[in-house]
Amino acid sequence: MNEQPRKSFLERFQMIIEHVEDSILVGLLLLMIVMAVLQILLRDLFSTGIVWSDVLVRILVLWVGLVGAMVASRQGRHINIDIMDRYLSERAKIVARSVVDFFTALICLIGAYYGLRFVQMEFSVGGRAFAKVPSWLCESIIPIGFMVMAVRYSLLFVNNFKKIVESKS
Amino acid sequence: MIPYIFALILVLLTIFGTPLFAVILAFAMLGFHYQGVDLSVIAIEMYRIADTPVLLALPLFTFAGYVLAESRTSHRLVKLTKAFIGWMPGGLAIVAFIACAFFTAFTGASGVTIVALGALLYPALTEAGYRDKFSIGLVTSSGSLGLLLPPSLPLILYGIIAQQMDIGKSVTINDLFLAGIFPALLMVLMLSFWSLWENRRNPIPCEPFSVKEAISALRESIWEIPLPIFVLGGIYGGYFAISEAAAVTAMYVVIVEVFIYKEIKISQLPSIMRESMIMVGAILLILGVALASTNFLIDADIPVRLFNLIQAHVTNKIVFLILLNILLLILGAILDIFSALVIMIPIILPVAVNYGINPVHLGIIFLANMQIGYFTPPVGMNLFIASFRFDKSISELYQAAFPFMIVLLVALLIITYWPALSLFLIQR
Repeated sequence: MNEQPRKSFLERFQMIIEHVEDSILVGLLLLMIVMAVLQILLRDLFSTGIVWSDVLVRILVLWVGLVGAMVASRQGRHINIDIMDRYLSERAKIVARSVVDFFTALICLIGAYYGLRFVQMEFSVGGRAFAKVPSWLCESIIPIGFMVMAVRYSLLFVNNFKKIVESKS
Repeated sequence: MIPYIFALILVLLTIFGTPLFAVILAFAMLGFHYQGVDLSVIAIEMYRIADTPVLLALPLFTFAGYVLAESRTSHRLVKLTKAFIGWMPGGLAIVAFIACAFFTAFTGASGVTIVALGALLYPALTEAGYRDKFSIGLVTSSGSLGLLLPPSLPLILYGIIAQQMDIGKSVTINDLFLAGIFPALLMVLMLSFWSLWENRRNPIPCEPFSVKEAISALRESIWEIPLPIFVLGGIYGGYFAISEAAAVTAMYVVIVEVFIYKEIKISQLPSIMRESMIMVGAILLILGVALASTNFLIDADIPVRLFNLIQAHVTNKIVFLILLNILLLILGAILDIFSALVIMIPIILPVAVNYGINPVHLGIIFLANMQIGYFTPPVGMNLFIASFRFDKSISELYQAAFPFMIVLLVALLIITYWPALSLFLIQR
C-alpha cells in the first residue's frame, strides 16, 4: 500500500487479475440462473429440455463456489473463529495472523498438489462430464482454486511478516 | 501421542483465527495420511459438490436474499405487517417478530435482519412507547428468528449434509421445511405473549385498523407478496424441485427489484452478485472439505465409537438431549451457523439416530439451538452487530437480550421434548 510508485505495475497486474476473477464469478452465476430457468421453461412449456443442462448447472455450482472462495481469500474473508482476537495486543495479533496465514497457505498448497494429481488421473482415464466436455476440465477448478488461495494467503503472510519486521526496527 | 499433539495444534490455530476450511482440510489430510490413503481422495470427495443437485439452491437463494436486502423490501414488509397486525394489543412487537421471521427466512441469518429491519423497528418501537431496553432486546433477539422457516439456507444445508450421511432414514429438504413451521410459530407466539406480559404496566395504545392503510400497503408490496407462495406453493404443489424454486425466485427477485420497483440499478447487480457469491464460496469450500473429513470420520468409525462412549455414561434419551442442547448452545455462540452444521452434523447425527431421535427432528433442534446461540452472551454474533449498529455497550445488550433468551430457551425445551410439534405434518 505504501511505496506506491514502485509497486504500480504489480498493483495494476493485481487489479486486472481481480477484475477478470470478478467477471468470471458474475458470468458463472448468470449462466447458472439462465440455464436453470431455461430448463424449467423448456420442460413446462415445450415438454423438452437440454440433456446436459442439469449436469452443467451442477458443475457450475462447484465452480461458483471455488471462484467465490478465491475472491474471499483476497482479504482473508473466509469464515473463522476469532475469540482470541479481543484479548491480544496489536503486536501479538499481527504475529498470530502471520502464523495463521502461513499455515493456511501451506494447507492450500498441499490441497492444490493433490488436486492436480486427481485431475491428472482423470485426464489419463479420459471420461466425459457432459456433451463433449471432458471430466478433467470440470475438475481442474479444484487445484486452480487451491493454488490461487495459496498465493493469496502467502501474500497476506508476507504483508504481516513485513509489519513484524518493521515494528522491530 | 503424536495425533494428540496435532489435534492440540489444530485447536490452537482455530481459536487464533485460522479459516475453518483450512483446519478441516488439515484434519482430513492428517486422518487420511495416518490411514495410508492417498490424499487425492480429498479432491474426489470435494467433487461431490457437483453431484448434489439440491446444492444449486444455495447460491440462488443466497443471491435472491442479497438482492432483497439491498432493496427497500424491509420497509414494505414492516408497513404491510403493521397494517394488518398493528391493531392488535402488543401489535408493534408482534409486527416486529413476524417481519423479522419472514425476512430472515429469505435472507439467511447473517446479521442482515438486524441491520435492515432492526434499523426500522427499533425507532418505531421506542416511539410507540416501548421501553428502550425492551426494544433493543427485541430487535437483537429477532435477528435470527425465522431460521426454521423455509427457504432458510441453514435448513437446506442441514438436509444436504444429512443426505450425504447414509443413516438409513431419508431426510428430505421438503420434510425439513414442513417440520420447521410449527416450532417457528411457537417461538413467535411465546415471544408475543411475553411482550404483552412484559408491558402489562406500560400499556401501549392500540392503533385502529385502517382499510386505507391496508390497501396502500398491499398495493406497494404486491410484487413481493407472491414470493413465499412461489416457494412453498411451488414446492408442495409439486411444480418445482427446491433448486428450481430457487432459480425462479432469483430470476423473479431481480426482475421485480430492478425493473419494477427500480430500487437496484443494473450497474449495482455485479457487485451484489459478487458479494453474495463470496458468502457462497466460503460456505461451499467448508462444505467441500467437510465432505472429505466426514468420509474419514466414518471410515475410522468415529461416530460409532463416540456413541459407545456416550452410551456407557448416558443411557437415557432425555439426558442425552439435554446435554446435546447445552453443547449446541455453546457451539452456536462460538461458531457461525454454517460451520457448526458442517462440522457437527456428521458427528452428532449418527449418535442421535442411535438414541432413536428422528433426523428431521434433530435438524429442527439443532437450528433452534443455533438461533439462540446467535445472541447468547458472551460471544453471540448478533449481540456485536446490534451493539455496533445501535451504538450500545455490549453489557447493555446482554441485559436487554437476556429475557428474550429465557423465553426462547423455554420454547427450545418444548421443541426438543415434543417431537410431534415438528413431525406431525410429515408423518403421513
